[in-house]
Amino acid sequence: MAPDPDDVDAGYPDPDDPHWRQLTLRETAFWYGLAGVTYLAASVVEKGLLNWVIGPVWLVAVVWFGPLLADRLRGRGRRVDGGPG
Amino acid sequence: MSWGAHQFEIYAVHAHLPKKMIGKVSFFGIWLGDFTPDFLSKFWVYGITIGDRHYGSSIPHQWHRGWPGMGFTHTLFAGVVIGALLWLWRRNRALTVGYVLGFAAHALTDVNDSVGTMLLFPFTTENWTVRTWSYAATIEGGKYLDAAAYYSSLGLVMDLFWLVVVLFSWRVLTREYWRAQVVPADAHGWAWLGRYMPERALLALYRATFFYGLCRVIAWSTWAHLIARPVIDGVERFGYPFDFSWTGPWWIGARSLPHVPIWMVPIGVAALLAATYWAFARLWEPMGEAEERRRKARAPV
Repeated sequence: MAPDPDDVDAGYPDPDDPHWRQLTLRETAFWYGLAGVTYLAASVVEKGLLNWVIGPVWLVAVVWFGPLLADRLRGRGRRVDGGPG
Repeated sequence: MSWGAHQFEIYAVHAHLPKKMIGKVSFFGIWLGDFTPDFLSKFWVYGITIGDRHYGSSIPHQWHRGWPGMGFTHTLFAGVVIGALLWLWRRNRALTVGYVLGFAAHALTDVNDSVGTMLLFPFTTENWTVRTWSYAATIEGGKYLDAAAYYSSLGLVMDLFWLVVVLFSWRVLTREYWRAQVVPADAHGWAWLGRYMPERALLALYRATFFYGLCRVIAWSTWAHLIARPVIDGVERFGYPFDFSWTGPWWIGARSLPHVPIWMVPIGVAALLAATYWAFARLWEPMGEAEERRRKARAPV
Protein backbone atom coordinates (compact mmCIF):
# COMPACT_ATOMS: atom_id res chain seq x y z
CA MET A 1 0.00 0.00 0.00
CA ALA A 2 1.29 3.50 -0.76
CA PRO A 3 2.26 5.50 2.33
CA ASP A 4 -0.03 8.24 3.52
CA PRO A 5 1.71 11.53 2.57
CA ASP A 6 0.53 13.07 5.84
CA ASP A 7 2.03 10.29 7.91
CA VAL A 8 5.73 11.00 7.94
CA ASP A 9 6.33 7.98 10.19
CA ALA A 10 4.91 5.62 7.58
CA GLY A 11 7.17 2.66 6.99
CA TYR A 12 9.62 3.59 9.74
CA PRO A 13 10.86 0.77 11.94
CA ASP A 14 10.91 0.82 15.73
CA PRO A 15 12.89 3.88 16.94
CA ASP A 16 13.79 2.02 20.18
CA ASP A 17 15.94 -0.34 18.17
CA PRO A 18 19.56 0.87 18.67
CA HIS A 19 20.04 0.68 14.94
CA TRP A 20 17.27 3.21 14.50
CA ARG A 21 17.61 5.37 17.61
CA GLN A 22 17.73 9.14 17.28
CA LEU A 23 20.81 11.07 18.27
CA THR A 24 20.88 13.70 20.99
CA LEU A 25 21.92 17.21 20.01
CA ARG A 26 25.39 16.63 21.46
CA GLU A 27 25.79 13.33 19.60
CA THR A 28 24.60 14.96 16.39
CA ALA A 29 27.18 17.72 16.71
CA PHE A 30 29.88 15.17 17.45
CA TRP A 31 29.18 12.83 14.55
CA TYR A 32 28.64 15.58 11.97
CA GLY A 33 31.77 17.31 13.23
CA LEU A 34 33.74 14.09 13.03
CA ALA A 35 32.49 13.48 9.51
CA GLY A 36 33.49 17.02 8.50
CA VAL A 37 36.95 16.94 10.05
CA THR A 38 37.84 13.51 8.69
CA TYR A 39 36.48 14.26 5.23
CA LEU A 40 38.32 17.57 5.06
CA ALA A 41 41.57 16.02 6.26
CA ALA A 42 41.31 13.20 3.75
CA SER A 43 40.24 15.39 0.84
CA VAL A 44 42.93 18.03 1.32
CA VAL A 45 45.43 15.17 0.93
CA GLU A 46 43.55 13.42 -1.89
CA LYS A 47 41.44 15.78 -4.01
CA GLY A 48 39.84 12.84 -5.78
CA LEU A 49 37.67 12.37 -2.69
CA LEU A 50 36.06 15.77 -3.27
CA ASN A 51 33.17 14.70 -5.39
CA TRP A 52 29.41 14.59 -5.11
CA VAL A 53 29.29 10.84 -4.49
CA ILE A 54 31.97 10.33 -1.86
CA GLY A 55 31.15 13.50 0.12
CA PRO A 56 27.51 12.61 0.80
CA VAL A 57 28.32 8.91 1.30
CA TRP A 58 31.01 9.87 3.84
CA LEU A 59 28.56 11.88 5.92
CA VAL A 60 25.81 9.28 5.79
CA ALA A 61 28.22 6.46 6.66
CA VAL A 62 29.68 8.28 9.67
CA VAL A 63 26.31 9.41 11.03
CA TRP A 64 24.69 6.01 10.39
CA PHE A 65 27.38 3.57 11.45
CA GLY A 66 29.43 5.69 13.87
CA PRO A 67 26.81 5.72 16.65
CA LEU A 68 26.05 2.06 15.98
CA LEU A 69 29.68 1.16 16.47
CA ALA A 70 30.00 3.37 19.54
CA ASP A 71 26.88 1.79 21.06
CA ARG A 72 28.25 -1.68 20.42
CA LEU A 73 31.57 -0.79 22.02
CA ARG A 74 29.80 0.61 25.07
CA GLY A 75 27.41 -2.33 25.21
CA ARG A 76 24.35 -0.14 24.84
CA GLY A 77 23.02 -2.06 21.88
CA ARG A 78 23.06 -5.35 23.81
CA ARG A 79 21.15 -3.88 26.79
CA VAL A 80 18.38 -2.47 24.61
CA ASP A 81 18.18 -5.57 22.48
CA GLY A 82 17.96 -8.24 25.12
CA GLY A 83 18.77 -7.03 28.62
CA PRO A 84 16.49 -5.57 31.26
CA GLY A 85 17.63 -2.10 30.31
CA MET B 1 31.14 28.04 -13.34
CA SER B 2 29.96 27.93 -9.77
CA TRP B 3 31.11 25.38 -7.24
CA GLY B 4 29.65 25.24 -3.73
CA ALA B 5 26.92 27.69 -4.72
CA HIS B 6 25.10 24.91 -6.55
CA GLN B 7 25.07 22.77 -3.41
CA PHE B 8 23.77 25.58 -1.20
CA GLU B 9 21.18 27.02 -3.57
CA ILE B 10 19.00 23.92 -3.54
CA TYR B 11 18.31 24.46 0.18
CA ALA B 12 17.74 28.16 -0.44
CA VAL B 13 15.22 27.40 -3.18
CA HIS B 14 13.35 24.94 -0.96
CA ALA B 15 13.34 27.38 1.94
CA HIS B 16 11.94 30.23 -0.15
CA LEU B 17 9.08 28.67 -2.04
CA PRO B 18 5.85 30.60 -2.67
CA LYS B 19 3.36 30.14 0.16
CA LYS B 20 1.10 27.67 -1.62
CA MET B 21 4.03 25.45 -2.56
CA ILE B 22 5.53 25.17 0.92
CA GLY B 23 5.92 21.52 1.89
CA LYS B 24 4.67 20.40 -1.52
CA VAL B 25 7.75 20.66 -3.75
CA SER B 26 10.12 17.74 -4.03
CA PHE B 27 13.59 18.28 -2.59
CA PHE B 28 14.80 15.34 -4.71
CA GLY B 29 13.41 17.20 -7.73
CA ILE B 30 15.25 20.42 -6.89
CA TRP B 31 18.43 18.47 -6.27
CA LEU B 32 18.11 16.55 -9.53
CA GLY B 33 17.28 19.68 -11.53
CA ASP B 34 20.22 21.58 -10.12
CA PHE B 35 22.51 18.62 -10.71
CA THR B 36 21.47 17.82 -14.30
CA PRO B 37 23.23 20.62 -16.26
CA ASP B 38 26.72 19.74 -15.06
CA PHE B 39 25.99 16.01 -15.02
CA LEU B 40 25.22 16.18 -18.74
CA SER B 41 28.12 18.39 -19.74
CA LYS B 42 30.95 18.63 -17.26
CA PHE B 43 32.56 15.21 -17.61
CA TRP B 44 34.03 16.23 -20.96
CA VAL B 45 35.07 19.73 -19.83
CA TYR B 46 38.13 18.50 -17.97
CA GLY B 47 38.22 15.16 -19.78
CA ILE B 48 40.67 12.44 -18.83
CA THR B 49 44.26 11.81 -19.76
CA ILE B 50 45.40 8.24 -20.37
CA GLY B 51 49.11 7.96 -21.03
CA ASP B 52 50.02 10.87 -23.27
CA ARG B 53 46.60 11.19 -24.79
CA HIS B 54 43.90 13.56 -23.55
CA TYR B 55 40.28 12.64 -24.05
CA GLY B 56 37.97 15.60 -23.68
CA SER B 57 36.72 18.78 -25.29
CA SER B 58 39.19 20.79 -27.34
CA ILE B 59 37.62 24.07 -26.15
CA PRO B 60 36.19 23.41 -22.67
CA HIS B 61 34.11 26.60 -22.30
CA GLN B 62 32.61 26.21 -25.77
CA TRP B 63 31.66 22.63 -24.99
CA HIS B 64 30.29 23.45 -21.54
CA ARG B 65 28.26 26.57 -22.31
CA GLY B 66 28.24 27.22 -26.02
CA TRP B 67 26.49 26.25 -29.22
CA PRO B 68 27.61 24.12 -30.95
CA GLY B 69 28.36 22.27 -27.74
CA MET B 70 26.50 21.19 -24.63
CA GLY B 71 25.60 24.73 -23.63
CA PHE B 72 21.90 23.94 -24.10
CA THR B 73 22.13 21.89 -20.89
CA HIS B 74 22.46 25.19 -19.04
CA THR B 75 19.31 26.78 -20.45
CA LEU B 76 15.81 27.22 -19.11
CA PHE B 77 14.58 25.70 -22.35
CA ALA B 78 16.28 22.39 -21.54
CA GLY B 79 14.91 22.52 -17.99
CA VAL B 80 11.38 23.06 -19.25
CA VAL B 81 11.66 20.32 -21.90
CA ILE B 82 13.01 17.74 -19.44
CA GLY B 83 10.48 18.92 -16.85
CA ALA B 84 7.65 18.46 -19.38
CA LEU B 85 8.86 14.93 -20.18
CA LEU B 86 9.05 14.19 -16.47
CA TRP B 87 5.50 15.44 -16.06
CA LEU B 88 4.20 13.34 -18.96
CA TRP B 89 5.92 10.29 -17.52
CA ARG B 90 5.10 10.60 -13.83
CA ARG B 91 2.32 13.22 -13.55
CA ASN B 92 4.07 14.24 -10.35
CA ARG B 93 3.66 17.95 -9.63
CA ALA B 94 6.08 18.05 -6.70
CA LEU B 95 8.85 16.43 -8.72
CA THR B 96 8.26 18.40 -11.92
CA VAL B 97 8.10 21.81 -10.26
CA GLY B 98 11.10 21.02 -8.08
CA TYR B 99 13.08 19.81 -11.06
CA VAL B 100 12.50 22.93 -13.15
CA LEU B 101 13.18 25.26 -10.21
CA GLY B 102 16.47 23.48 -9.48
CA PHE B 103 17.43 23.54 -13.16
CA ALA B 104 16.61 27.25 -13.40
CA ALA B 105 18.64 28.01 -10.26
CA HIS B 106 21.69 26.37 -11.81
CA ALA B 107 21.37 28.09 -15.19
CA LEU B 108 20.76 31.51 -13.62
CA THR B 109 23.61 31.24 -11.11
CA ASP B 110 26.06 30.40 -13.88
CA VAL B 111 25.53 33.76 -15.62
CA ASN B 112 28.07 35.07 -13.13
CA ASP B 113 31.21 33.64 -14.69
CA SER B 114 32.84 35.16 -17.77
CA VAL B 115 31.23 32.67 -20.18
CA GLY B 116 27.68 32.67 -18.83
CA THR B 117 24.75 30.67 -20.18
CA MET B 118 22.48 30.84 -23.24
CA LEU B 119 19.44 31.97 -21.32
CA LEU B 120 17.22 32.50 -24.36
CA PHE B 121 18.25 29.36 -26.26
CA PRO B 122 16.96 28.31 -28.81
CA PHE B 123 15.81 31.80 -29.83
CA THR B 124 19.38 33.08 -29.63
CA THR B 125 22.68 31.35 -28.96
CA GLU B 126 24.26 34.45 -27.44
CA ASN B 127 25.44 33.93 -23.88
CA TRP B 128 24.27 35.96 -20.92
CA THR B 129 27.02 36.86 -18.49
CA VAL B 130 27.82 39.54 -15.94
CA ARG B 131 31.47 38.41 -15.89
CA THR B 132 31.71 38.50 -12.09
CA TRP B 133 34.64 36.05 -12.12
CA SER B 134 36.75 34.32 -14.70
CA TYR B 135 35.66 31.04 -16.22
CA ALA B 136 38.88 29.06 -15.80
CA ALA B 137 38.33 25.49 -16.99
CA THR B 138 41.20 24.69 -19.35
CA ILE B 139 42.72 21.53 -20.77
CA GLU B 140 46.15 22.36 -19.33
CA GLY B 141 45.01 23.46 -15.88
CA GLY B 142 42.18 20.98 -15.43
CA LYS B 143 40.11 20.95 -12.28
CA TYR B 144 42.93 22.19 -10.03
CA LEU B 145 43.55 25.49 -11.80
CA ASP B 146 39.79 25.96 -12.22
CA ALA B 147 39.30 25.53 -8.47
CA ALA B 148 42.25 27.76 -7.64
CA ALA B 149 40.92 30.56 -9.85
CA TYR B 150 37.37 30.24 -8.55
CA TYR B 151 38.38 30.24 -4.89
CA SER B 152 40.70 33.21 -5.41
CA SER B 153 38.02 35.39 -7.00
CA LEU B 154 34.50 36.66 -6.42
CA GLY B 155 33.47 33.03 -6.99
CA LEU B 156 34.44 32.41 -3.37
CA VAL B 157 32.22 35.33 -2.38
CA MET B 158 29.37 33.79 -4.38
CA ASP B 159 29.72 30.50 -2.50
CA LEU B 160 29.81 32.35 0.82
CA PHE B 161 26.78 34.40 -0.19
CA TRP B 162 24.70 31.25 -0.82
CA LEU B 163 26.07 29.73 2.39
CA VAL B 164 24.88 32.78 4.33
CA VAL B 165 21.47 32.62 2.62
CA VAL B 166 21.10 29.02 3.82
CA LEU B 167 22.38 29.84 7.30
CA PHE B 168 19.87 32.69 7.57
CA SER B 169 17.27 30.03 6.72
CA TRP B 170 18.93 27.56 9.11
CA ARG B 171 15.62 25.84 9.91
CA VAL B 172 15.80 24.25 6.48
CA LEU B 173 18.54 22.00 7.89
CA THR B 174 16.63 20.89 11.00
CA ARG B 175 14.95 17.56 11.56
CA GLU B 176 11.61 19.32 12.15
CA TYR B 177 11.79 21.05 8.77
CA TRP B 178 12.81 17.84 7.04
CA ARG B 179 9.92 15.92 8.59
CA ALA B 180 7.29 18.60 8.03
CA GLN B 181 8.33 20.19 4.73
CA VAL B 182 10.56 17.76 2.88
CA VAL B 183 9.30 14.24 3.59
CA PRO B 184 5.62 14.83 2.73
CA ALA B 185 6.47 16.04 -0.77
CA ASP B 186 8.52 12.89 -1.45
CA ALA B 187 6.66 10.47 0.82
CA HIS B 188 7.18 7.46 -1.42
CA GLY B 189 10.89 8.05 -1.86
CA TRP B 190 11.66 8.68 1.80
CA ALA B 191 9.44 5.80 2.91
CA TRP B 192 11.27 3.46 0.54
CA LEU B 193 14.67 4.62 1.79
CA GLY B 194 13.33 4.35 5.34
CA ARG B 195 12.94 0.61 4.93
CA TYR B 196 16.71 0.30 4.81
CA MET B 197 18.07 3.33 6.60
CA PRO B 198 17.39 4.75 10.07
CA GLU B 199 16.03 8.24 10.39
CA ARG B 200 19.40 9.68 11.39
CA ALA B 201 20.86 8.35 8.13
CA LEU B 202 17.95 9.73 6.09
CA LEU B 203 18.40 13.10 7.71
CA ALA B 204 22.14 12.93 7.00
CA LEU B 205 21.30 12.11 3.40
CA TYR B 206 19.09 15.19 3.22
CA ARG B 207 21.86 17.35 4.70
CA ALA B 208 24.62 15.65 2.72
CA THR B 209 24.64 18.06 -0.21
CA PHE B 210 25.05 20.98 2.17
CA PHE B 211 27.83 19.10 3.94
CA TYR B 212 29.56 18.37 0.67
CA GLY B 213 29.26 21.99 -0.47
CA LEU B 214 30.72 23.30 2.77
CA CYS B 215 33.60 20.83 2.73
CA ARG B 216 34.23 21.63 -0.90
CA VAL B 217 34.59 25.35 -0.18
CA ILE B 218 36.92 24.76 2.78
CA ALA B 219 39.05 22.05 1.18
CA TRP B 220 39.63 23.77 -2.16
CA SER B 221 40.24 27.17 -0.51
CA THR B 222 42.70 25.58 1.91
CA TRP B 223 44.53 23.84 -0.89
CA ALA B 224 44.60 26.90 -3.16
CA HIS B 225 45.86 29.34 -0.54
CA LEU B 226 47.82 27.31 1.98
CA ILE B 227 49.16 24.27 0.18
CA ALA B 228 49.61 25.01 -3.51
CA ARG B 229 52.91 26.53 -4.70
CA PRO B 230 52.03 27.88 -8.15
CA VAL B 231 54.47 29.56 -10.49
CA ILE B 232 52.82 32.68 -11.91
CA ASP B 233 54.72 34.89 -14.35
CA GLY B 234 57.88 32.97 -13.50
CA VAL B 235 57.58 33.57 -9.76
CA GLU B 236 56.87 30.76 -7.30
CA ARG B 237 54.18 31.82 -4.86
CA PHE B 238 52.91 30.69 -1.48
CA GLY B 239 49.36 29.90 -2.56
CA TYR B 240 47.38 31.40 -5.44
CA PRO B 241 46.89 35.17 -5.04
CA PHE B 242 43.42 36.42 -4.12
CA ASP B 243 41.83 38.89 -6.50
CA PHE B 244 38.34 40.11 -5.76
CA SER B 245 38.19 42.49 -8.69
CA TRP B 246 35.50 42.06 -11.35
CA THR B 247 36.26 39.15 -13.73
CA GLY B 248 39.26 38.21 -11.55
CA PRO B 249 41.62 36.69 -10.83
CA TRP B 250 44.12 38.64 -12.88
CA TRP B 251 46.50 35.72 -13.25
CA ILE B 252 44.26 33.71 -15.56
CA GLY B 253 42.76 34.83 -18.84
CA ALA B 254 38.97 34.97 -18.66
CA ARG B 255 37.35 32.69 -21.23
CA SER B 256 34.43 34.17 -23.08
CA LEU B 257 31.85 33.56 -25.82
CA PRO B 258 29.76 36.06 -27.82
CA HIS B 259 27.37 37.58 -25.32
CA VAL B 260 24.62 40.14 -24.88
CA PRO B 261 25.45 43.52 -23.26
CA ILE B 262 26.08 43.05 -19.55
CA TRP B 263 23.43 45.60 -18.50
CA MET B 264 20.75 43.35 -19.99
CA VAL B 265 21.65 40.38 -17.82
CA PRO B 266 20.25 41.39 -14.40
CA ILE B 267 17.02 42.44 -16.10
CA GLY B 268 16.85 39.20 -18.08
CA VAL B 269 17.61 37.03 -15.06
CA ALA B 270 15.02 38.80 -12.91
CA ALA B 271 12.42 38.53 -15.70
CA LEU B 272 13.08 34.82 -16.28
CA LEU B 273 13.02 34.06 -12.56
CA ALA B 274 9.75 35.95 -12.17
CA ALA B 275 8.33 34.22 -15.27
CA THR B 276 9.26 30.78 -13.91
CA TYR B 277 7.56 31.40 -10.58
CA TRP B 278 4.57 33.05 -12.27
CA ALA B 279 4.14 30.11 -14.64
CA PHE B 280 4.21 27.59 -11.80
CA ALA B 281 1.86 29.72 -9.72
CA ARG B 282 -0.62 29.56 -12.63
CA LEU B 283 -0.03 25.88 -13.34
CA TRP B 284 0.02 24.75 -9.72
CA GLU B 285 -3.69 23.98 -9.32
CA PRO B 286 -4.24 22.52 -12.82
CA MET B 287 -1.22 20.26 -12.31
CA GLY B 288 -2.53 19.18 -8.93
CA GLU B 289 -5.92 18.34 -10.47
CA ALA B 290 -4.31 16.36 -13.29
CA GLU B 291 -2.20 14.45 -10.78
CA GLU B 292 -5.28 13.67 -8.72
CA ARG B 293 -7.19 12.46 -11.80
CA ARG B 294 -4.33 10.16 -12.72
CA ARG B 295 -4.11 8.82 -9.15
CA LYS B 296 -7.83 8.03 -9.16
CA ALA B 297 -7.63 6.41 -12.56
CA ARG B 298 -4.79 4.15 -11.42
CA ALA B 299 -6.29 3.30 -8.04
CA PRO B 300 -7.60 -0.28 -7.73
CA VAL B 301 -11.39 -0.41 -7.81
